[in-house]
Amino acid sequence: MKMDSAQDLLQRDDGSLATAPAPAASQQEIFLQLGAITRLLHDTLQQLGVMPKLQTAAEGLPDARSRLSYIASKTAAAAEKVLNSVDSAKAEHQQISQQTRALAASLTADPVRAVASGAVYNFVADVDRRTAAIDQHLTDIMLAQDFHDLTGQVVAKVVALAGDLEDSLLKLLVQVVPPEQREKVDPAMLHGPVVNPEGRTDVVANQGEVDDLLASLGF
Amino acid sequence: MSNPTEMKFLIVDDFSTMRRIIRGLLKEMGCNNAEEAEDGVVALNMLRQQRFDFVVSDINMPNMNGFELLRAIKADDGLKSLPVLMVTAEARKEDIVMAAQSGASGYIVKPFTKATLEEKVQKIMQKLAATA
Repeated sequence: MKMDSAQDLLQRDDGSLATAPAPAASQQEIFLQLGAITRLLHDTLQQLGVMPKLQTAAEGLPDARSRLSYIASKTAAAAEKVLNSVDSAKAEHQQISQQTRALAASLTADPVRAVASGAVYNFVADVDRRTAAIDQHLTDIMLAQDFHDLTGQVVAKVVALAGDLEDSLLKLLVQVVPPEQREKVDPAMLHGPVVNPEGRTDVVANQGEVDDLLASLGF
Repeated sequence: MSNPTEMKFLIVDDFSTMRRIIRGLLKEMGCNNAEEAEDGVVALNMLRQQRFDFVVSDINMPNMNGFELLRAIKADDGLKSLPVLMVTAEARKEDIVMAAQSGASGYIVKPFTKATLEEKVQKIMQKLAATA
């Protein structure tokens, strides 16, 4: 449409094309060159037999995306499981720590008893020290689960990139394939039976909806 | 309120794992009062419905990212005094500058340690206490 307008503007009364304005002329030239390059690319891809490879690549991308999503979901589940275990361990550990301190306090409350049970007191003090170290390890384990957030963000970006790539490949395929095979690769073409209509507003789920839609259109 | 143990925190991150980690670390710091939001939209709704004393927010989130949330908080007369600590994997300088210019009180790059979180929270609280 824009090209036509530019053409009209360049047309003189006598039917010849004006040489000016230069920017519009060069823009048209660019469009012509782009068209020529696209045709050349189309022909070359067909001659080289690239189309089957493109199709294979485009078909493989959804699989790659679903595998990455699988990894993301599995690592998420693993991280949640570890965090649940850390929470439980910390709660139980806190109880041990409190009881140990209470035992140490009761031992030291009676000096005679404390002297008599020196070995027990030392053990209790040692347990208290070690529980603090174990708690620090549990905190480290909890913090290490941040891998899910960090790797998850990377996986999400790669999944999005694969989606864009797939989209571009499909568009390229549509350009390259012979017209009679176009509907096999063109996502905009008819898709046949809807496998999962739940939650979709762009499809109908049954004949009743078809009839309602037609009725709303006056049929 | 300058004592972190008495404050109510809002943790905003789209990854539940990270929200749980931050909540766990705050708990170890004695801060037991924390709630979670998975994006800026949910966070902003919660902030407008409940009283919070401190926001810990991720940046890269769906619906409303951390920068948008930060700007929304600072543009809201009822919320603008709220300290916002950004905890994010975005390590680009321009992001850090943008966060500072948008009114963030602090910025932590993931992965981080408990000591870093504790230090930043304490620092922000001291600054708030000094200006109050």
